[in-house]
Amino acid sequence: MQGSDDRVRKHYAALDARLATLSPDELAERQKTQERFFLLQGITFTVYGAESSTERIIPTDILPRIIPATEWARIEAGLIQRLRALNMFLADIYSEQQILMDGVVPRELVLQAPSYRREMQNLYVPHKAYANVCGSDLIRQPNGEFAVLEDNLRVPSGVSYMLANREASKRVFPGTFRGAGVLSIDRYPDLLLTTLKSMAADWRPNPQVAVLTPGVYNSAYYEHAYLARLMGVPLVEGRDLVVHENMVYMRTTTGLRRIDVIYRRVDDDFIDPLTFRRDSSLGAAGLFNAYRAGNVVICNAPGTGVADDKAVYAYVPEIIRYYLNEDAILPNIETYLCREPAQLSHVLANLDKFVVKAVGASGGYGMLVGPHSTKAQQDEFAAALKADPANYIAQPTIQLSTAPCLINSAVEPRHVDLRPFILSGDKITVTPGALTRVALKKGSLVVNSSQGGGSKDTWVLSESKGKSR
Amino acid sequence: MMLARVADSLYWIGRYVERAEHMCRLSDVMLNATLDRSEAANLVARIAIAAVGDPEMAKAKTPYEAALSLALDRSDDLSIYSSIAHARENARQVRDQITTETWERLNLIYLRMNDPDATRSFGDGSQQFLHDTIADLHLFKGAGDATMSHGEGWSFLLLGVYLERAQLIGSLLGVVFGESRRRKPVTDHFALTSVLRMGCALEPYLRVYTAEMQPRFILQFLTLDEDFPRSIRFCTHQIETHLAAIIRHSGMAGSVGPDRLAGRLRARLQYADMDELEAQGASPFLKTVLDECSAIHRSLYDAFVAYPLEERLPA
Repeated sequence: MQGSDDRVRKHYAALDARLATLSPDELAERQKTQERFFLLQGITFTVYGAESSTERIIPTDILPRIIPATEWARIEAGLIQRLRALNMFLADIYSEQQILMDGVVPRELVLQAPSYRREMQNLYVPHKAYANVCGSDLIRQPNGEFAVLEDNLRVPSGVSYMLANREASKRVFPGTFRGAGVLSIDRYPDLLLTTLKSMAADWRPNPQVAVLTPGVYNSAYYEHAYLARLMGVPLVEGRDLVVHENMVYMRTTTGLRRIDVIYRRVDDDFIDPLTFRRDSSLGAAGLFNAYRAGNVVICNAPGTGVADDKAVYAYVPEIIRYYLNEDAILPNIETYLCREPAQLSHVLANLDKFVVKAVGASGGYGMLVGPHSTKAQQDEFAAALKADPANYIAQPTIQLSTAPCLINSAVEPRHVDLRPFILSGDKITVTPGALTRVALKKGSLVVNSSQGGGSKDTWVLSESKGKSR
Repeated sequence: MMLARVADSLYWIGRYVERAEHMCRLSDVMLNATLDRSEAANLVARIAIAAVGDPEMAKAKTPYEAALSLALDRSDDLSIYSSIAHARENARQVRDQITTETWERLNLIYLRMNDPDATRSFGDGSQQFLHDTIADLHLFKGAGDATMSHGEGWSFLLLGVYLERAQLIGSLLGVVFGESRRRKPVTDHFALTSVLRMGCALEPYLRVYTAEMQPRFILQFLTLDEDFPRSIRFCTHQIETHLAAIIRHSGMAGSVGPDRLAGRLRARLQYADMDELEAQGASPFLKTVLDECSAIHRSLYDAFVAYPLEERLPA
């Protein structure tokens, strides 16, 4: 909330003034009301214990994070630019592979990535929109500029929290909300449906869209049901689908009904046991062939993961320059590729300062956080790095920015990141809002919900401040 | 248009909430009756336990233990907790198909039953606990009625409710009025009143037959009354109506299936004669009703949920 000079930043002034009028008890009461709202709505994830399973809500913080219009304009432009370039990159590597011929991105880096899908080669994707839903993780750097920490082009989740947090914060701070001129995010489900429909618009006048979920035991199930409900389309599971003569159908009470667009929330590996993992029962046998035949569109396209690979990430500024002839508006975090001998030796010499990540891993696994590591761990990683340098990247330890949070009825700073959601179909749209993930433990930098992270609403202000839109 | 799996889930939500409500009422009446120790009270407890038909519960030493086990035993698939948990699990699977208002009501009941303190609050006031659960289940049905579209999905849900209700009332009547060499006919005034309470029928009964507690009238009221929502006749009429609505939505009119069975059952109840029924005995009649309900259930699955794929593939 405060700037470096310890004064309250301008766009937080109204919220700060409102907070001054509320006692700690009142704040705690509002926090409780909000948690109750989430529990009642069933916005929960299940923790499976030894004896019984309990449902918990993901901790939410009632204080909104506020982003002024000028900062947002830059984020929006940067995200659109980035996704345009990444879609072009995917279209290229799954067809002519010009960028690999020109040596801008090393060939083996792409073709040997575990997320590269040979099956996607020369497959027609409408509008060349491979990543229809993208959620990029941004952080605010010490100089105040936002940078991209990670792209998320596979099956990004969290958008339901963005929408639910907004519902909640409108209840908690209605007056401040109205006065602030916050841009609306309500159209997200509508825009998502439009985006999905645009993927089949060439050949079906009013395409049937469905959301494919792994089922009720998936931790993001609430979100799948939520999006299906708000879009008004069926929520299907693999067992509801039938593929017959390269057409995809769902089993309804009145027989089989054709599906044209599948917004799948199932990972690549599991969507079709005939093409990908044999042991999967979450998808439908023959789905990929139907896709190949052009009778159904899978969103996001399989194989988009190759563009958010941790090693490919380092090349994104080059990728943007290559396709768009522009400089990246949102910078990357400085990244060292251990596959390059010069960079490897630099990383090895400074292991205590770097965060080292395995390229294929995610969720905090296979990771060394230099400043918090022991000598033994560093030695272990040094050996692993020398043995298989191509499998690792390194980044300087980054300091996440902080936002005010309500902790035990007092306002305290906690580290946050920012995940906006970008849709791409016949055009690219960025919803003016985001999921702000919070590390609720003091000093912690881990925002993942599985490790004590929470979330909060994110207000993007309109240019003309004071008028609500 | 509705997914077969969704229709299945909605149907089972209906069945489970109806079952939970009925079980709450049975335990409530039993607990209330056994507050004083009398032969009639024991009879009521025996009727309730037999109507529940749960061997776990029958093992309990006292009516309170039996009620507690029926309410909150998580390992018992017939307990009220299990019914609510199943209903809510089904609702979660079709969360996109039911309104937020309806979902909230059911979730609220589940959260209370699932609370670590549930056993304590049941101990503090078991009748209050059961009463609140029944009231919230009514709110659930009311919220659904007021906010959900009365289309195909709604018909599947109510079909579940009324099939379950017809079977539950049928089993209860079988216990009370069924002929058996071991049981004497129930004639005690207090026990008969309790039976009416178990069917949530006491007040409506009094309006029709006054306070005269006649086994024959009670059987007639709970079986053949045209307007009382828990009489078997009323249920069969609803089953036929909602099946017809589903068939209308699906455009499958004319195909012989569950609708024929439902029509026959409704006619059986509509044109039943009390004297004939008494002459041949309640047991065979009630058994026929229960069997035909099961047949409708199977036929419903064959027609709408678990149909063979090859018959429905596009030509």
